[in-house]
Amino acid sequence: MTTHWADMQNADVILNIGSNSAENHPVSSKWLNKAHEKGAIWIVVDPRYTRTAEMADIYCPIRSGTDIAFYGGLYNYMIENLIEPGLYEYMTTGKMDKYNFEYLINYTNASYILEKDYEFDPETGLFSGWDPETETYNSHSWHYETDHEEPWDTSAGGAYAWAVKDGVPQFEKPVLTVPKMDKTLTNPRCVYQVFKQHYSRYTMEKVCEVCGMDIEDLRTVYAAWCTSCAPGKAGAILYALGQTQHTYGAQNTRAMSVLQLLSGNVGVPGGGVCALRGEPNVQGATDMGMLVNEQPAYLKWANTTDRDSLAHWLESQTYSDGYYTNKPKFMVSALKEWYGDNATVKNDYGYDWWPKVPSHDGSDWTEMSSFEKMKDGTIQGYFAWGMNPCHSAPNSSNVRRSMAHLDWNVVVDQVITETASFWDAPDMDATQIGTTCYFLPCALIYEKPGTILNSGRWMQWRYQAVEPWDEAKPDYEICDLLWREICRLYAEEGGANPDPILKMKWDYYLDGKIDPRPVSWALNGYRVKSSDWKSGFESGANGALAAGNVDLLAGYSELGADGSTACGMWIYSGFYANSAAPLDPAQQAIGRRNNKDTSGLGLYSDWAFAWPNNRRIIYNRASADMQGQPWAPDKALVKWDKKAKKWLSGYDNGLDIPDFAASKTLADGTVQAIEPNNKAFFMLWEQNGRLESYGMVDGPLPEHYEPFETPLSENLLNGRLNSPCFLGRPSADGNKELGTMFSLESTRRGSADEFPIVATTYSVTEHWQTGGQTRACPALVEAFPGDMIEMSPELAAEKGIGNGDKVRVWNKRASVVVTAVVTKRVRPLTVNGKTQHLVGMTHHYSWGKLYGNTLQGAVNDLTPNVGDPNSQTPEYKAFLVNIEKA
Amino acid sequence: MTEKAMLFDTARCTACKGCQVACKCWNNLPSGDGGCADSMDFKGVYQNPADINGTTRLIMTFNEFEAPESQKRMGWAFGRRSCQHCTDAGCVQICPAGALFRDEETGMITHDANKCVGCQYCSTACPYDVPRYDKLAGRPDPVINKCYGCVDRIHNGMAPACVTTCQPGALQFGDRDEMIRLAHEAVDRLQAKGFTDACVYGEEEMGGLHVIQVLKYGIEDHGQVANPKKSVLNTVHDYTAPVVGGIAGLVFLGLAGMTALSAGAEKHDQVIYNPETTDTLDMNTGAVLKHGDGQGTKSFKQYMSQVPIFKKWGEDDHE
Repeated sequence: MTTHWADMQNADVILNIGSNSAENHPVSSKWLNKAHEKGAIWIVVDPRYTRTAEMADIYCPIRSGTDIAFYGGLYNYMIENLIEPGLYEYMTTGKMDKYNFEYLINYTNASYILEKDYEFDPETGLFSGWDPETETYNSHSWHYETDHEEPWDTSAGGAYAWAVKDGVPQFEKPVLTVPKMDKTLTNPRCVYQVFKQHYSRYTMEKVCEVCGMDIEDLRTVYAAWCTSCAPGKAGAILYALGQTQHTYGAQNTRAMSVLQLLSGNVGVPGGGVCALRGEPNVQGATDMGMLVNEQPAYLKWANTTDRDSLAHWLESQTYSDGYYTNKPKFMVSALKEWYGDNATVKNDYGYDWWPKVPSHDGSDWTEMSSFEKMKDGTIQGYFAWGMNPCHSAPNSSNVRRSMAHLDWNVVVDQVITETASFWDAPDMDATQIGTTCYFLPCALIYEKPGTILNSGRWMQWRYQAVEPWDEAKPDYEICDLLWREICRLYAEEGGANPDPILKMKWDYYLDGKIDPRPVSWALNGYRVKSSDWKSGFESGANGALAAGNVDLLAGYSELGADGSTACGMWIYSGFYANSAAPLDPAQQAIGRRNNKDTSGLGLYSDWAFAWPNNRRIIYNRASADMQGQPWAPDKALVKWDKKAKKWLSGYDNGLDIPDFAASKTLADGTVQAIEPNNKAFFMLWEQNGRLESYGMVDGPLPEHYEPFETPLSENLLNGRLNSPCFLGRPSADGNKELGTMFSLESTRRGSADEFPIVATTYSVTEHWQTGGQTRACPALVEAFPGDMIEMSPELAAEKGIGNGDKVRVWNKRASVVVTAVVTKRVRPLTVNGKTQHLVGMTHHYSWGKLYGNTLQGAVNDLTPNVGDPNSQTPEYKAFLVNIEKA
Repeated sequence: MTEKAMLFDTARCTACKGCQVACKCWNNLPSGDGGCADSMDFKGVYQNPADINGTTRLIMTFNEFEAPESQKRMGWAFGRRSCQHCTDAGCVQICPAGALFRDEETGMITHDANKCVGCQYCSTACPYDVPRYDKLAGRPDPVINKCYGCVDRIHNGMAPACVTTCQPGALQFGDRDEMIRLAHEAVDRLQAKGFTDACVYGEEEMGGLHVIQVLKYGIEDHGQVANPKKSVLNTVHDYTAPVVGGIAGLVFLGLAGMTALSAGAEKHDQVIYNPETTDTLDMNTGAVLKHGDGQGTKSFKQYMSQVPIFKKWGEDDHE
């Protein structure tokens, strides 16, 4: 998230939408309760009245999958009630008490002029740039109109002199295209006017028709939210999988970012877009590049088109301005770590050995299509490592049938999951399956040392508490055993393409044993010449090394693009920088344990380490006005000292670390403060927040489309029912190759005639996901001993279902029997004039041989294998079912 | 050590059941077959096990209700069902074996299961129907099992296990005076927000409880007992004790009570759930103990009062 857990106490308005923080993120309640008791208004928008809704002041039901309609209505409400009525007065007098115009005009791209051919057609529901042949967008018309161009200054003493140094790979330097702007916001093609026009269709009446809530409830929510838009006030949005698991999930996330920019809530204490991560360390897993589209530290993977060589990677990825002008330093340093001494400027630092995503044929290689590729023989062996797709993947009965095509299946887990025993499912016949199955038991989190990150990007060192059970090993030890055996086989027997393996650097041993501390040095980064990885590391006294040497970097500002530094994770750089005690995490930033809060805002900057660079609230330039003075004097994160002509910041001043260019180093080495400017978002080249963005594949502004399976026959807001390019959509002519990876069989769309009930899925606080850990704890099983389907008393009466009854839930993909919870907490909604029933199901139990193996299938047998085209996240949160008493 | 108390603030509680699970873990109490036989079956309610039992000392209770006047149009009251650690503790007074006693330093009511003779008087004496009996403790007769306030932890400078695990800060532990002060602050906040029934519970009840509660929706909705009183057994004991002497009086009452109360004492150990009616029933008598998913209209004290001998006891409190 842009902020961190403890900062939630500073919120004036809390909005839970697509999240259930009280149940799924218990620690959040500690801080939210503090805010609430100080007077914050707490709003929950959710298909059912959750335990979080009980904590809140305002509850507003919503039909699953209609969040963008809700946000669009809120934009429109804000424009009509806050922005338009006050804009003229602000322009003429500078007065702003209810709405932060200074933020909107200076820190966002509201004033930027869009390309002349930008267009949205409500009749077709399509933006300009749509190619019906390929069913993709060309985003050219979504860009800004250029005012003038500024090339990089690579001359000696110039800002970009580093880019032409010896050892820096050759690449064509970016040119800054300075956009045209209209700071009066009157130009009809400026982002603000286009935005205003776009969302004028989202009236409150229309939103209620689509989403199904009562208009008075909606008005209450919108009015309450608007109190967060005043300068000095802050509203926090708390979201989780309820937003992301849709065929337009990434657009939902954009919609929240847009709302927070429009509300002046990004970068201020108590504000932010708060992605609540579930599992401890899911944030770390994301950072580490356990992703199909990004390598560690959010750098795009090499591919076969615009990133097929290092030069092309640098040209397509390096920004023309802002902090990402430094990407060549991050990439070269990463390659230098991956390939060590084998990486030289002559061989493009080993870039050609780097695995490349096959982007030339539009094929999908995400988890979603993995199981299709097993059926057609493309994937013959599979590692499920800390992952249980036979339970958690969409259409999971299809998953287990697909896995039966594998030659071999390796599961690394703590318990025999459904994936480890897919052949044993009630509907599988093991005698007909030829897959060789391996199970590698792994250590639990407390059975191994290492790093852990929470949702606030805080990194802490976790020490080993107990030895792993029986034969279980830490994951990195399992990796090491596999790695060494694979290398032995390549060395002895050769292979088609051994170099990517054999040239790789893999020397994370301490006293001859694989160890997470050398990995930490690699992640933090070090100077290559003054470090010695060759002679092997041996433990010395007081955390020092007796043999080997590592010269750690203080932070990523020390990285070079010339091969002089190696760094596996530029964003983490600085977390482990004490070269005097490289063996002792307690003497590193990650091991800090000073819980004194000098800020009064709960920054706790001397506790652990927050990436990047120990910044606790990112985009914190936006917490202060154009003169660098905080919007709220008692909520300062950074401050421009007018007399001393410098930025005040840091722990000793009770402030945060600046997340913007606060100073620059001149050619002669002197450091000069940079006076306050409007560059509040320096991770973008234009350095202003994007209300409109050309960065998404499915549209420049969030637009409402219906879920893949919807109770409606038409989209009430535009002429297109579903998102135009969602992943897995069936093409009109049944042609599998055209923009879709999945056969119709795997998605199996049902119609509202046959399946009139909207379903969603979620978790309860008592269990964690597929239950591998929590179903192994009898006290947790007892606390919530089964999966449920929650429904309204009205629907239950209609179907003759009583509380505690077994209910058969089915659609075209599967049929599952779960226990009914009949509750007033679920209300029938009125959608497009008709009564619409909703049900919700948990997905913790299954047929696996753990406690509570109560189900014949898994709830995810019902969910469709379709997803978001930006993030490849499946749509678990809105689909259709029918139900009957079992 | 000054008098201690736990503070339970229902306005902060998210009903995550962390306390319920922490209690089981710290006290090594089994779930399922080792405890309440049917507690591993999902019955369509969040509250599970349905009630405290011989191996469950603490449960969260759930009570959802309509509230037409509120924007949310409903409420979902979470409650804590466990020992309240009374100052005027009927269970301690009536125990013939000296198995129940007060920890004088903290005020917590603790017990020594080795001394328990299994007579179950304490269960009938308790206005909150708290003491339960573990049938699987390896003894011929069931032995008492109930929250003992984690006095061992307290004496070693720690808070009770349930308090330590509580993430939202709904459970706190400290000097009783301080907990009462915090409780009143919380109730003032709630009153100002329009929760007109919000109140502090445990300050005066039963001579003062050592679990102080902030009840957002008032006493009944959170499953608490208004005006709790000691049972008639205690009253008779108080009356007869000076005449026949403490020990003799207890024996006398014991013999009389065993016959009259056997059904009453046994019933709450044998709780079953009827998914059709959503009621919780006494397995032996078939009496309804609790209606629906925590939506019972009666307090636990009232369930007790359904037993004929207790008819008069508590009736007048619930008009």
